[in-house]
Amino acid sequence: MDHTLKAVDLDLGSLSHAVAAMGDLAVAQVRAAVEVFVRHDLPAAEKVVHADNAVDLQDAEIERNAVRFIALRQPMADDLRRPIAAMKIAMQLERCGDLAKNIAKRVPRLDTAPSEAQAASIAELGRMASERLAAVINAYRSDDAQGAYNVWLKDTDIDERHEGVVREIVAGMAAEPDSVGDSIHLLFIAKNLERIGDHATNVAELVHYQITGTDLSNRPKL
Amino acid sequence: MNAQLENPPETAVLELPPEVVKLAIKDLNFFYGQKQALFDVSVSFAANAVTALIGPSGCGKSTLLRVLNRMYSLYPGQRAQGQVLLDGEDMLSPRVDVATLRARVGMVFQKPTPFPMSIFDNVAYGVKLYEKLSKADMAARVEDSLRRAALWDEVKDKLKESGLSLSGGQQQRLCVARGIAVKPEVLLLDEPASALDPISTARLEETIAELKRDYTIVIVTHNMGQAARLSDHTGFMYLGKLIEFGETEQLFTNPVTTRARDYITGRFG
Repeated sequence: MDHTLKAVDLDLGSLSHAVAAMGDLAVAQVRAAVEVFVRHDLPAAEKVVHADNAVDLQDAEIERNAVRFIALRQPMADDLRRPIAAMKIAMQLERCGDLAKNIAKRVPRLDTAPSEAQAASIAELGRMASERLAAVINAYRSDDAQGAYNVWLKDTDIDERHEGVVREIVAGMAAEPDSVGDSIHLLFIAKNLERIGDHATNVAELVHYQITGTDLSNRPKL
Repeated sequence: MNAQLENPPETAVLELPPEVVKLAIKDLNFFYGQKQALFDVSVSFAANAVTALIGPSGCGKSTLLRVLNRMYSLYPGQRAQGQVLLDGEDMLSPRVDVATLRARVGMVFQKPTPFPMSIFDNVAYGVKLYEKLSKADMAARVEDSLRRAALWDEVKDKLKESGLSLSGGQQQRLCVARGIAVKPEVLLLDEPASALDPISTARLEETIAELKRDYTIVIVTHNMGQAARLSDHTGFMYLGKLIEFGETEQLFTNPVTTRARDYITGRFG
């Protein structure tokens, strides 16, 4: 049922829309960062770095509007959970943006372009991270607690793949000691993508909490 | 995936542990003549706590309050069926003296109702009906009651002045002092702040928050913010039924029933 005071629905809709839009931007940044790494595209990498400013601005705007909603509407129950979740989700997305930016910042610092195998591994990790983030943003957009739960359940997939990529990079360092410098950047890039996966899990918990009022974090994983 | 979200119950009433219950209502039905106003209400009120009753106009919350001290018995044609247990004793039993009941269960109404007498006599009047106190003891009782009602400092130098000379907020606190002067166990407040400005409301709310240390308080309010600020437990009523009752924090952060959720979030249809 809609709120009798229509302005409340307008405010909440606007807040949700802003969070979803920030989520879409964060996903785009992650994909772009991985792309510029794979192609070793230095000018494009610089654009990804600068584009993070837009993510930060959206975070600040969402926080401002959430605080305004709480102050002016004195919300209760799920109406209160929405602005609180919006602020916390925006914080998670802002971190994803930072991690994507940091990936792009490392591209010009590589001595050589990544090998085909290295590019494929990072691309796969990047795909897993961005797909998790996109899925949870869609769950948020659709008020889909089940969708959020599904993302939350698969938390370990990206962790396991990350461990595999780390083993590959370490093996590469052992085989070619001259590649240690670039390999360290690769380790950081892989770690950033794994962290983005963790942030997607955090967003899933927040989306679930916003919809149901219950906490996923203590529930046993299947 | 979340059974509660998909199939919320129609009603949800928290059962309090017996050791904390001061006042309990069991299977209460109430009638204004032929018209039934309360339907099978069962709820407990914790001792030394504030319980708020909220709900739309006509939901039965004031009716419920007035059953607790048998105010309805003043009016022919109004009747209650069921039990109101005060420390386990049924107050609706004809064996219970109504005057004694109303000394144990005091009431403050929405509109301040000071008597047309001095501030001192307003507070002392009820005490004189039930107790024989010396002058000194009565003065001490009046002072204590006015202090508890957060009014003493404002009236201590004018106790002989008429209670009607006070502001609305002061008059309401005078009524609270009058109510607690007879040393009740339970205090019923029927929208006590609805006629007051924000400052008087805040002072009255602070008074209520202090009073719960010594009294069991039940408050009917239209102001959900007030219920959220003041109460330990909240009951939501609708069309004469108790729909949801529980800890105030639970009701206002994650209500169980759809009706309660719609009401507290302003979805009135």
